[in-house]
Amino acid sequence: MIATLLEVSGVTVTFDGFRAINNLSIQFPPTGLRAIIGPNGAGKTTFMDIVTGKTKPDEGRVVWGEENISLLGLSESDIAMRGIGRKFQKPTVFEAQTVRQNLAMALKNPRGPFAVLTHRKTAENAAKIDAIAAEIGLTDSLTRIAGELSHGQKQWLEIGMLLAQDPRLLLVDEPAAGMTVEEREKTTDILRRAAKTRSVVVVEHDMEFVRRLDCKVTVLHEGAVLAEGSLDHVASNQTVIDVYLGRGHA
Amino acid sequence: MHNSFIARNPSVLWFLAALGLFTFGVTLLSEATGIGLISTSFVKTLGKTLCLCLIAIAMDVVWGYCGILSLGHFAFFGIGGYAIGMWLMYARTETIVLSSLAGQTIPATPQEISDAIGNQIFGVVGSSEFPLIWAFSDSLVLQLAMVVLIPGLLALVFGWLAFRSRVTGVYLSILTQAMTLALSLYLFQNDSGLRGNNGLSGLQNIPGFEATPQATISIIFFLASAFALGAGYVFFAWVISGKMGSVVQGIRDNEARVRFLGYQVEGYKLFIFTITAIVSGIAGALYYPQAGIINPGEIAPIASIYLAVWVAIGGRGRLYGAVIGAAFVSLLSSWFTGGGAPDINLGFYTIQWTDWWLVLLGLSFVIVTLYFPKGIGGLFDYLVRKPS
Repeated sequence: MIATLLEVSGVTVTFDGFRAINNLSIQFPPTGLRAIIGPNGAGKTTFMDIVTGKTKPDEGRVVWGEENISLLGLSESDIAMRGIGRKFQKPTVFEAQTVRQNLAMALKNPRGPFAVLTHRKTAENAAKIDAIAAEIGLTDSLTRIAGELSHGQKQWLEIGMLLAQDPRLLLVDEPAAGMTVEEREKTTDILRRAAKTRSVVVVEHDMEFVRRLDCKVTVLHEGAVLAEGSLDHVASNQTVIDVYLGRGHA
Repeated sequence: MHNSFIARNPSVLWFLAALGLFTFGVTLLSEATGIGLISTSFVKTLGKTLCLCLIAIAMDVVWGYCGILSLGHFAFFGIGGYAIGMWLMYARTETIVLSSLAGQTIPATPQEISDAIGNQIFGVVGSSEFPLIWAFSDSLVLQLAMVVLIPGLLALVFGWLAFRSRVTGVYLSILTQAMTLALSLYLFQNDSGLRGNNGLSGLQNIPGFEATPQATISIIFFLASAFALGAGYVFFAWVISGKMGSVVQGIRDNEARVRFLGYQVEGYKLFIFTITAIVSGIAGALYYPQAGIINPGEIAPIASIYLAVWVAIGGRGRLYGAVIGAAFVSLLSSWFTGGGAPDINLGFYTIQWTDWWLVLLGLSFVIVTLYFPKGIGGLFDYLVRKPS
């Protein structure tokens, strides 16, 4: 077992003179849950964009897996195939298709056009889809059109699609946004279970949800790590209180 | 497996049944094989319409399913027509030249024969040399290969360049339109090697079948077009069913998401763009022998825009919608522009449909886009209510 699954070191990104990410260094172990918090504009989404290949940094290294592969310069689909899954802030499922089709598309299988064209349904894949549907609580909705699902169900479907990809690292952007209390609890459970076998990184705004996750927290501010540790530890950090936590109580 | 494909796509069976019935009916009513109620020229119109339906389903796959609004598929259609037209013209001219030289006491040398054919074909643009692109025109097999290869390769190269640079949306549409315009303008030149604005003509005369009446030839091409449409329909229905259809529609609805799932979006777009271009080429190769003539005007960007209008009116994202749109609008169009529709006298102004048809078409397009995004095909949703 390796100690570090993903290592981001010294990464800087500038958009029109604005440093969205400023000499950011952060590491993730092969399993476990991690929350990334920070005020708007702290660089949370840009960080995800860099790791998933959407944005190319000006400087720095992003190193992945046992073989220490650099992810810089790889395409989004390439990075996804290497085991990084991403959930967007807004639930982005394929609304015109059924829940089953959404999951089937995400299922870890050959991704080339000809493999997909000649793809046949197998009992093995069907069993995997059923298992994931059970995990995200959408067993009864498999034949429904994804567009008809409630907001919370869409969020779960997208998490289910991530699980179907069977990634080693899950990047989850604000999974609890717009959810009811019960839905949040369920989401927390799903993420905790997923984190037993893989690394799960949750970018979150909502401190209550982060507390529920009960995991190591990294605070981002102005594109760099401000503090790291348990939630209580970072919450007692005076700088963190000033730049972020204080705002809520001000 | 085939059983389940039909079972999952009942509309394929319905479509094939309707097409078969229509084909059978026309065959029984035609001059050559039936009671003669349908004139030969109308059989040709119907056969051409079937070819337009074929390119319309290709357009529906690339636009309605994959979300690429290509304004260049009629260029592929035209290339298919030119490719078959070159053989038709060469072979027929060769027959005429040989028969006229047959009476000579000294047999003509191969060079003289070649010059005479060249003179016949290219005299109209002041040349008698065979351009390089006619190198295979004496071979039906090779020109048939060109029908598939040239649109396929052009689409592959163009698509690769465009998709790799992540050109999408309106910009891609403009790019495809520019390609079409460039091709059309090039073909208009006399030294393009394809007879400039004269185009290729006499394509309705099939070499080797000089004795066969046009009535018979027309019904054969009609049947061939119907077969091609049926085969194309089943092929595309198969492509867009199952997982391929999921991915392709996913690309249409959210390209970035598909990419983060690990699919190489560019490869999929290229695949869809290329196979639809090839089918467009085949449709063109069947169309122009029925039309009899092809000229660069046929490839002009407006033709590809009409194609998009047909598909939009018929109903994007369902293959039968594209067929309905192409058949309905193109037949209506020839009725209106052919003087079939009576003028409307408003007292102070007379609406002449030959002039006003385009206005009507444009208006229908706007109305359909705004109020009936599902098009005519959407009406079937009311007929077939899904059990919920």
